[in-house]
Amino acid sequence: MHLSREIIVEGLQRIARPENVITDERVLRESSIDRFRKYEDIHGVYTQPLPAAVVMARSVQQVAEVLGFANEHGINVVPRTGHSATEGGLETAVADSIVLDGSGMNQILAIDTYTMQATCQCGVPLQVLEDRLREQGFTTGHSPQSKPLAQMGGLVATRSIGQFSTLYGGIEDMVVGLEAVFPDGTVTRIKNVPRRAAGPDIRHVVIGNEGALCYITEVTVKLFPYLPQNNTFLGYTLDSMKVGFEVLREVMVSGYRPSVARLYDPTDAAFHFSHFAEDQCVLIFVAEGPAGIAKATAEGIEAIVAGHQECRRVDSTLIATWFADLNWGPEKVAEEREEIKQTNNIGFTTEVSGGWGCINDIYENALRRIVDEIPDITMAGGHSSHSYINGTNMYFVYYYNVVDCKPEEEITKYHTPINKIICEETLRFGGSIVHHHGMGKARAPWVKDEYQSSYYILETLKRAFDPNGIMNKGTIFPK
Amino acid sequence: MRFAAILYGTIGTATQQAQALGGFLREGLIGDLVGETLVFYHDERDRKRLVELSPTRDVRLIKTTARRPDRMVEILTAVARGEGISLFLFAGGSVGTELATRLACRTNGAVLTDALSIEMGPERLLCRKNVYSNHMVGRFELSAHPWCVSIDACWKDGRSPTSLEHQVLSDTDETGGISTTPFEDLELVDPPATGDLAESRFLVVAGNGAGNREGVERIAEAARRMGAGFGVSRPVAMNAWAPMDRLIGVSGTRTAPALCIVVGASGAPALHWGIEKAAFIVAIDLDEQAPIVRNADAAILDDGVAIVEELAEIIAAERKNE
Amino acid sequence: MRILVCFKVTPDFEALREADWVAGAAHGVETRYVRRIFNCFDESALEMALRLSDTLAGRGVTVGLGALSVGGGEAEPYLKTLYALGYERAARVHSEVNLDFAPAVIASIIAGYVRRVDHSDLVVLGCRSGPGDSGTVPFLVAEKLGWPCLTQVIEVEPLTDDRVRVAWMVDDGLLRVTLRLPCVLAVGNAVVSHLRVPTLTDRLARRNKRIDVFRAADLGVDITGELRRGTCVLAGLEEIHRARQGVIIAGETPREKARDLFDSHLKSMIEKL
Repeated sequence: MHLSREIIVEGLQRIARPENVITDERVLRESSIDRFRKYEDIHGVYTQPLPAAVVMARSVQQVAEVLGFANEHGINVVPRTGHSATEGGLETAVADSIVLDGSGMNQILAIDTYTMQATCQCGVPLQVLEDRLREQGFTTGHSPQSKPLAQMGGLVATRSIGQFSTLYGGIEDMVVGLEAVFPDGTVTRIKNVPRRAAGPDIRHVVIGNEGALCYITEVTVKLFPYLPQNNTFLGYTLDSMKVGFEVLREVMVSGYRPSVARLYDPTDAAFHFSHFAEDQCVLIFVAEGPAGIAKATAEGIEAIVAGHQECRRVDSTLIATWFADLNWGPEKVAEEREEIKQTNNIGFTTEVSGGWGCINDIYENALRRIVDEIPDITMAGGHSSHSYINGTNMYFVYYYNVVDCKPEEEITKYHTPINKIICEETLRFGGSIVHHHGMGKARAPWVKDEYQSSYYILETLKRAFDPNGIMNKGTIFPK
Repeated sequence: MRFAAILYGTIGTATQQAQALGGFLREGLIGDLVGETLVFYHDERDRKRLVELSPTRDVRLIKTTARRPDRMVEILTAVARGEGISLFLFAGGSVGTELATRLACRTNGAVLTDALSIEMGPERLLCRKNVYSNHMVGRFELSAHPWCVSIDACWKDGRSPTSLEHQVLSDTDETGGISTTPFEDLELVDPPATGDLAESRFLVVAGNGAGNREGVERIAEAARRMGAGFGVSRPVAMNAWAPMDRLIGVSGTRTAPALCIVVGASGAPALHWGIEKAAFIVAIDLDEQAPIVRNADAAILDDGVAIVEELAEIIAAERKNE
Repeated sequence: MRILVCFKVTPDFEALREADWVAGAAHGVETRYVRRIFNCFDESALEMALRLSDTLAGRGVTVGLGALSVGGGEAEPYLKTLYALGYERAARVHSEVNLDFAPAVIASIIAGYVRRVDHSDLVVLGCRSGPGDSGTVPFLVAEKLGWPCLTQVIEVEPLTDDRVRVAWMVDDGLLRVTLRLPCVLAVGNAVVSHLRVPTLTDRLARRNKRIDVFRAADLGVDITGELRRGTCVLAGLEEIHRARQGVIIAGETPREKARDLFDSHLKSMIEKL
């Protein structure tokens, strides 16, 4: 049964009070997309169906009631907190959806520096939590580029990862317990314990669900001591990515855990490091933590790199300066919009992962195909930024001029074909098509190829928790 | 040593120039100098008012053709050659830059633009100006007379000069025999509108802490009574508590007011970027830990709506008394 | 019409940390640790010239664009990019000496290049650039060439082979005028502020185009002599401490606090606003 917009809005107003139910058209248009449709947005074109309303949730109870209401009437719900997603995960794929926004639930509930845990509602901006913790000498260790904008609920829902993950891990390593609400209105709380083996780890049903299974309302994360004074920076230039990957591998396999381990190819390096690297790859390490560990890590890495003649050391101040200017702050976002509008040149990223044995093949083949097959490409390159003992990620960066093309056609003409190439080459060599941005709607078409036989587990979760299919249609599971 | 301050153009801009020059002469110039104002005008009706605006007692009136800085340079070059003037002072802005630079070239003097302050040394003029995109102040030494100096835009916010008893020393007409102009079909048009928020000198910004639409509206009304512009943070716009065109920050407007009062906004980076150029920031918030409190010049920890309404009353009363 | 755009590549000052803003040796701030970018006004000038050329091409008139930068090798990647974008002439003038605070020398070099090498009749450049931010170079060039000059230009349109229609910001509004060449145009906060981006194919096609490198002496400029005779010399740098005070206003009631805020901080400010 398909309810009209008016009835949906009335129902929501009864649950959440009228002032929390927004039907202003400009707000609805902005709420129909995320940064995947950056180009359309900048040109004021909105192609996604308008939601019926944006609901500002103020309590878990309200979240449960809204979901229950939607579930009863088969209304699509898009869970949202910071609105910084990049893969279409927040797009309202069907008409008259409900955008359920948790950014008003923004209280830091507890900071326990003895048990080393902090508990937040889903709408706490990571920057706020992190600033509060750093004042006291602690950190979450989580620093995605979106930190100034992203909020805790969304960060967990997307299985996000931060710039210091090689030491601290991804969000999945940081989450202790959480609270999530399911489509039928059931509120579940997973308690805070350091580890347990009392059955499967059910947190992993929630972490990374991208709003396709449930709504995250509260998160507890681990704390770490904040010791920036021991940060040690190492930078090198070299000629080949293949050698770069080998160095990264050797560092990881030898047991060192720098917080940052990055390898830029020449094209991507030119964007950031042209003042010291000309047509060269750049390798960057940051060692942090207690003084002894940071020192030993830096020394160990230096020794490993020294064993590769082709790597030339650069002044550490260059790396320290770059490090201080990393995040995607508001000034950069604003500047970028203007630039895109004027030049019709736009760039995106697609991040994949692969074992050491295949990552270089993924990198070389995907890039070769992009340059060969995609028109109007102005830049195509990438970097590795999250390493593990058994492999690493590859963060493809690409820019193109949008030529003879309406804003609403940009994705079909350029972005999707590029994603297709990257996904195909990654799958071909045995990697994963999504490292940390989330499947969203952008890469959902490849979900079965990504999972193969294990898709059975994923789709059963969906059938079990969201039998009426109301949770974020099109995300992870294509429409 | 003698100086000449230069005033030119229409009344509107001349008033600003006079305020700037007056303030600079009082507080930005250290040294033993006597001087006069050279007033360039083109409309007879402006003469009296321009004399009244002059920042020095002694005034010389020079009639010239409108919008011909090249002509003014020629006249000033002749003045420089004859009259023993060591320092030519121009108000800030592009005409000031042009006049100072070209005059220095023609007289083999020295030029410094956008001076924050100047000090007379025995042989040289010591000047301070912003460099490195306003991240540092540079100290410069000018040798070679005449010193041709234009002053920084910050002096524009000076108060009106106290009234002087002006004396017109000379009154000449230089409109005859002017060189041909490279300009044809000159037209003055309205500049592209940038919107009131970007231009506003006094702003009140409401954040989520207003609580609801009514709270935001009360803050907007208080802003109006104070004679301030009104903007909002993104959560307020996305709650539809205020129209989107009031949005300040990323994907909204970037502002640079002299005074900015932020009410009930935590001052997250997205908003902060939109107001950080403000000369003076007041934060009113219940949360002592909010970033805005640390990034403000003064802060009040209390309910924003109540404070801002009290403040509006105080300011409105003061304004009435003025 | 023969157009020359002069541009400067500067460190990205906004990428420097608070702590880096200290005066180092030889009156400079250490900027070698940050990336470099086009000076923003010069970038506008470069794009405006391309659009001028496009407009003329649409009328069947080909105007070759030239680009010039003064400095070391740091300008080379940018000159290569300009070739990829269709600039016909790309040159730099090499200087061993730091000319950051020597606008008169820069102007001499540009004028020398125009007179002796390029013979352009429309010189376009940004109205000011860091670190000096003097805004004087366009007028100094105009004086040396004996040409008119407009600054704070926001729009340029070609009219005929020797005339352009220029819009520029003045203190009391926006002026439009038809200007006969030759002239110097200094670009301000133009509507067009970002340079278009060349495709990889364009870069590949023009990667072998040679960038001309001149010495100042080739252009009749004696840098050492001019610096010695310079009439405006940098004597030192001062740091600016802009940290906000964060004074918390106390009081019993909202009225008291508002009153204290007004009396202690806002009164004189409000009078002027």
